[in-house]
Amino acid sequence: MSAATTSNSPGKWVVLPHYAFAALAFVALSILLLFSTDAFGGHYFHPKLLTLTHVAALGWATMLIFGALYQLLPVVLECKLYSEKLATIAFGFLGAGTILLAWCFWHFELGYLIHVAACSLVISFTLFTINVIQTARLAPKWTIEADFIVTSAIWLLLTGIVGLVMVLNFTMAFLPVEHTHYLKLHAHIGMAGWFLLLIIGVGAKLIPMFLLAHAENFKKLNWSYNLINAGLVFFIFDHLFFHTALLPVYAGLVVVGVVLFLLFVYETSKTRQRHDVDLGMKQTFVALGLLLLPLVLVIVVSSNLNLPQQLLSSIYLVYGISVFFGFVSAIIVGQTFKTLPFIVWMHAYENYVGRFKTPLPKDLYNHTLQRCLNITYLLGFLLLLTGVLLRNQQVILAGAIGFTLTSVLYTVSVFQLLLHKVQELKPFTYGNARA
Amino acid sequence: METHVPEDFGNEVFETLKYIIDPEVGINIVDLGLVYEVSLDGDTLEVNLTLTTPGCPMSGTIVNATEQILLKRFPNLDVKVNLVWSPPWSTEMITAEGMRQLEAKN
Repeated sequence: MSAATTSNSPGKWVVLPHYAFAALAFVALSILLLFSTDAFGGHYFHPKLLTLTHVAALGWATMLIFGALYQLLPVVLECKLYSEKLATIAFGFLGAGTILLAWCFWHFELGYLIHVAACSLVISFTLFTINVIQTARLAPKWTIEADFIVTSAIWLLLTGIVGLVMVLNFTMAFLPVEHTHYLKLHAHIGMAGWFLLLIIGVGAKLIPMFLLAHAENFKKLNWSYNLINAGLVFFIFDHLFFHTALLPVYAGLVVVGVVLFLLFVYETSKTRQRHDVDLGMKQTFVALGLLLLPLVLVIVVSSNLNLPQQLLSSIYLVYGISVFFGFVSAIIVGQTFKTLPFIVWMHAYENYVGRFKTPLPKDLYNHTLQRCLNITYLLGFLLLLTGVLLRNQQVILAGAIGFTLTSVLYTVSVFQLLLHKVQELKPFTYGNARA
Repeated sequence: METHVPEDFGNEVFETLKYIIDPEVGINIVDLGLVYEVSLDGDTLEVNLTLTTPGCPMSGTIVNATEQILLKRFPNLDVKVNLVWSPPWSTEMITAEGMRQLEAKN
């Protein structure tokens, strides 16, 4: 029998600040949304929409994913995180870069400050990618999950570099084609390359683990990885150099890849021993359901359907919203309540296990609050989608209010967890032990 | 679960280890099937246990808790806890009592 090492978990100060920043960014995002109802009537290249998208993608989603990943990488790859110092520095650059970038987009200040913001973000992504690759190199065995995670980090870095080039182009105007051409590239590499691959890679390991299920056949996951990356690479080359009419085919490859992942989850979940699906997992399944919407819309926006320009603009906006406010936000909200209570519990109670009666991670947060925020989230999302599609500012405002309520409830729950203090514990007496 | 100890003593060890609860599942490590082997060699009590997944962040916590709890329960013995991965844990290793507890949660 092979002996194993002890815990690979990183220190709490590496992980927890990411959760705090992300929660506050979620509140900021919702408040900005309240003041942006007028921005959804036109083109997506709008200062307020650019601000919203980047606060959602960087301050909220990427920030939380960074933090969660530093905790989960050792679980998925079965080794220690390569460097906690790199993780802390990456946090600083990501936080500073996000705040600066949001400020610049909101005020449409496209001078040196936005260059600083973009450089700061690229530095953060570089450090993160180095950390992920070096950690993966320490892994005792290479798995398909490692493929997904490492590749997603590389796509993130590429997304950041394309973003930096676009920002430099604001003042130097050296790119041969108009800005929105590269924006499509930047957005799709970020959405499919970073968020989608990362979420699939981590989800493929964690969902079976949380359900006490056993994944036996990884063929679908392998094909999922190949198809999504192939779709993305073909799209990039075509978009930059060839301009063919094959975009729906590339989108189709990505869609089939995602469907294969969903089938993997479905087949694995049939073997589960846990049938008590908690609120965090319910929200995760809602997120996977919400993923179907952008999958349909990516085919629509990549096909030349000759739709009226106004309708096409709305569909583009709904597509973006369905990714950032739909799938990504839903899965983050759900997984926050699967990962954060456990992390807090581990740091607070690990020395008391077996000696004192300790609470369980699920006892550390308010379930009613979480149920409420799951409902306000879903209502807010549906109202926002409807409002944007109908170009109705009142309905968009109602959706923004739903999101604001969700973000406040979420942040209260997160800070309750972060500030959790160990209560007085009752010692065990072990039957007739002389304890 | 394998034991190389007198039956009564083995039962005492398993009953003691049932105080350690897996925080995610909410079931003790014995009924979850994580304790593979208990043996007594002179004054040394040796326990081989595993985790639901090799990367589990609970590894240090569960190993330390097992050592602490057994030292407290059997103060005259030396305790050695080994974390092992072979055979890999699977849901078939959950005991009938563990399955009953899982079903009761549904």
